[in-house]
Amino acid sequence: MQVRVLRAVLCVALAVGLLTPPASAQDAQPTTLRIALNGYENNLTPFTISFGAIPNTHDLVMLVYDSLFWSQVKDDPEPWLAEAAEPNEDFTEWTVTLREGVAWHDGQPLTARDVKFSFEYYLAQEGASGRYAHHVSDVPPFAGAEVLDDRTVRLSFSGPAPAFEIMPGADLPIIPQHVWENVTDPRLASDTLPVGSGPFKLVEMVPDQLYRFEANEDYFLGAPTVDVLEMPIVKDPAAAFAALRTGEVGHVTRNVPPELVEQFADDPEIEIAEGTKFESTQLYFNARKPPLADARLRHAISLAVDSQAVVDTVLLGHGSPGLPTFVHPDSPWALPEAEPAYDPATAEELLDEAGYARGPDGSRQAPDGTPLRFSVLVSSFEPQDLRAVQLIAAQLEPLGVGLVPEVLDPATLRERRSAPPGEIPTYDAYVSTLEAHAHVDPDALYYFFHSPGNKGFGGAITGYTNPRFDQLAEEATTAQPSDRRRLAGQMQELLAAENPTIVLWYREGQYAYRPADYDGWVSDFGHGIFTKRSFLPAYAEQSGAGEPARSPDDTAPSPASGGAGAGALVLLGSLTARGSGLLARRKNRSPAVGGDG
Amino acid sequence: MARRALRAVAQYGAVLFAAVCLNFALPRLAPGDVIDYLFPPEQSGAITAEQRAAVLDEFGLDQPVPVQFQRYLAGLARGDLLLSVRYGRPVRDLLAERIGWTFLLVGSALVVSTVLGTVLGYRSAWRRGTPGDAGILSTAMLVDSMPPFFVGMLLLLLFSVELGWLPTFGAQPTTTTTGAAFLVEVGKRLLLPFATLTLASIGPVYLVARSALVSELGEDYILMAEAKGLSPRQVRRHAERNALLPVSTIALIELGTLVGGAAVVETVFSYPGLGRLIYESVLARDYPVLQGAFLLLAAGVILANLVNDLLYPVLDPRVRR
Repeated sequence: MQVRVLRAVLCVALAVGLLTPPASAQDAQPTTLRIALNGYENNLTPFTISFGAIPNTHDLVMLVYDSLFWSQVKDDPEPWLAEAAEPNEDFTEWTVTLREGVAWHDGQPLTARDVKFSFEYYLAQEGASGRYAHHVSDVPPFAGAEVLDDRTVRLSFSGPAPAFEIMPGADLPIIPQHVWENVTDPRLASDTLPVGSGPFKLVEMVPDQLYRFEANEDYFLGAPTVDVLEMPIVKDPAAAFAALRTGEVGHVTRNVPPELVEQFADDPEIEIAEGTKFESTQLYFNARKPPLADARLRHAISLAVDSQAVVDTVLLGHGSPGLPTFVHPDSPWALPEAEPAYDPATAEELLDEAGYARGPDGSRQAPDGTPLRFSVLVSSFEPQDLRAVQLIAAQLEPLGVGLVPEVLDPATLRERRSAPPGEIPTYDAYVSTLEAHAHVDPDALYYFFHSPGNKGFGGAITGYTNPRFDQLAEEATTAQPSDRRRLAGQMQELLAAENPTIVLWYREGQYAYRPADYDGWVSDFGHGIFTKRSFLPAYAEQSGAGEPARSPDDTAPSPASGGAGAGALVLLGSLTARGSGLLARRKNRSPAVGGDG
Repeated sequence: MARRALRAVAQYGAVLFAAVCLNFALPRLAPGDVIDYLFPPEQSGAITAEQRAAVLDEFGLDQPVPVQFQRYLAGLARGDLLLSVRYGRPVRDLLAERIGWTFLLVGSALVVSTVLGTVLGYRSAWRRGTPGDAGILSTAMLVDSMPPFFVGMLLLLLFSVELGWLPTFGAQPTTTTTGAAFLVEVGKRLLLPFATLTLASIGPVYLVARSALVSELGEDYILMAEAKGLSPRQVRRHAERNALLPVSTIALIELGTLVGGAAVVETVFSYPGLGRLIYESVLARDYPVLQGAFLLLAAGVILANLVNDLLYPVLDPRVRR
């Protein structure tokens, strides 16, 4: 009797099971992905972030917010909130048409008025806008906006803005007018949950402990592939990777340290995705302080540095050697023919010719008798930088040039490298790391290497001064895209000859995750894998499709709902090399097979 | 009596005021400023003068130092600890969120390391010279010489990664739990940082307890007590009670060490306590937070001193008058 009832129940259950499409079965149980984040960023608004989670700050903010285009790392970014943007003849005006039917997280429609308001607000709140301020005040200088209708806005600039789609288009988060219009002190508005338009809504924040996001089911590019994102803040790198090994988190936003790469490669439950974030670590000379103000001396030093050896020793090979042209080799603006320059013999000749004679102990001196012995400031938080300086010091010894590392806490280092306006800072050199922003922004060369000028930025970083460079940089900011590429190339040639910096390496991005927890990771060019595209169905679905694309030049097919071309997405397929049907399998807890990391 | 109390109040008041002044001055003496931290490193050299001025103005940091000091004192009088530059929130709220966790962590470690250290120290003293004493002594020296972050990492690797018994980070579960389950989760997350901190501070207590009891045992009154035929248990009670005085003093000194150690341990275990807040605020030169947090700690230590002062007469009748 009981058996018969049981059998009937089972039959009904089976029938229901067969009739129910798998998709709805998935809907029934929300998927949660836990990611160890490297720092806390308050309530993730553009005005309250404090860069504790760098280099993931921007991608974190952009889970909640959207920009008109995405993303800034290509010279041809994909329309995002915008459907199209048309410039006028001299690029001083851009008419932006917004996508239809986009709503804020609170249900209010996102309109052209919000775009106008955003630009005006960032400009009015220059102090609080921090890293985003220069996109409206400087590059390009925003002059005003006119709302043409609900979906169309005309933005005008006081100079030509040929790169509008990249900067600020693909970088500036668009904010809701109805939330911010009455906020007079946005930096202090850190208590409330943010209202954005992005794929995730922030629903909970516990300071220095946790963020919890829920999927924005109505997102205009489709409901995100993960229902709940839990992001505990794990500051200590060793603890974060320990949590990955125990399975407490499914991903760590940090780059895997070189010494852990091998270990993770042997772990069947963990895979490593590659994807550059365009990071570069370089030694900056104080190009305004004699004798380092002499470009010949800097050039000779750079020729005696074997950056391949630095990469092999310090990064255990997980990176590519620095280029004298500065710009990251994968950047769309990089000079294609650039190569590492290592030629100690020429370095000797150069110094002999320039009058840097050897003293009795073999070390060289400047013509005025100053010994060529320089201190290099290194952050106490970057042991790799210290090792690199020690190695370079050994490489330079035969040349008769001395380098002495000086380890400082980051705030003290920043103090030491700055000086009041008009004065020359006292340091000789320091080591620091730059992220994508510096290599993909076509104006970056301007900020870093233009001599002190009207843009406010110039010269503040290296003190490099060369009128010819200034002229090229100024021309490039307003030039048409094709001219820009040529000008950027010429600037890089100048840098390679005069070396205000020595790039030590371009770190390879290696990001570890547990495929059993989530397997939709997209290696988004210039972002690594922790970026909103990893959670959008149009992109995440493709990542498991076995797409062999790995080189930056491969172009992914346009996503079904993603508007125009996806730009170059580097897909993870080659790394996972594991069949298709990814979305259906992402809850599959069985250990990964065949991943080769 | 009243005069003595008055003198004590005046003394503690003076110490507290000195702490208030130092809290204001010390963070400002460190090189670097908070502005750099509100911008990503690649742009810190590129902040316009207007941006800098706007931010400084917002937090009152563009005022002359005496004016800032006046505001700080006036704020303190109102119980207002100003705003954190990095968090954009009142320092009072930040401290309130974290003090509980630190109290739990440091408090439990202080109690256990004091009790355990004393018990072990006494045990060693009674058996001084035996292999048992030598064993405990050398273990205590070894543990004491290991830096807390190293001990923490070892425990983490062993108990979380290899054995999988305990979570690796945080103070509370990320998912919402309530009631007893919540307490269990909090306990599991407390265990490793607590053990690390206890190990880091047990050494000095043990050594002081051991040597204090050893020297008491050499006193004439012990000889006297033994001579008049008191049982070993009674002799022990006399000696151990008298040896408690130095132990209570070292426990208090250890409180300061514990708070310092907590900064390291809280960072390793991602524990959201006061120590980690201070550590990160030092790096960011977040003056208001440092002022508030140091004041809180100074007040705590002064209070502990007061309690210790009051406890002394209870422990030792000789200081009663």
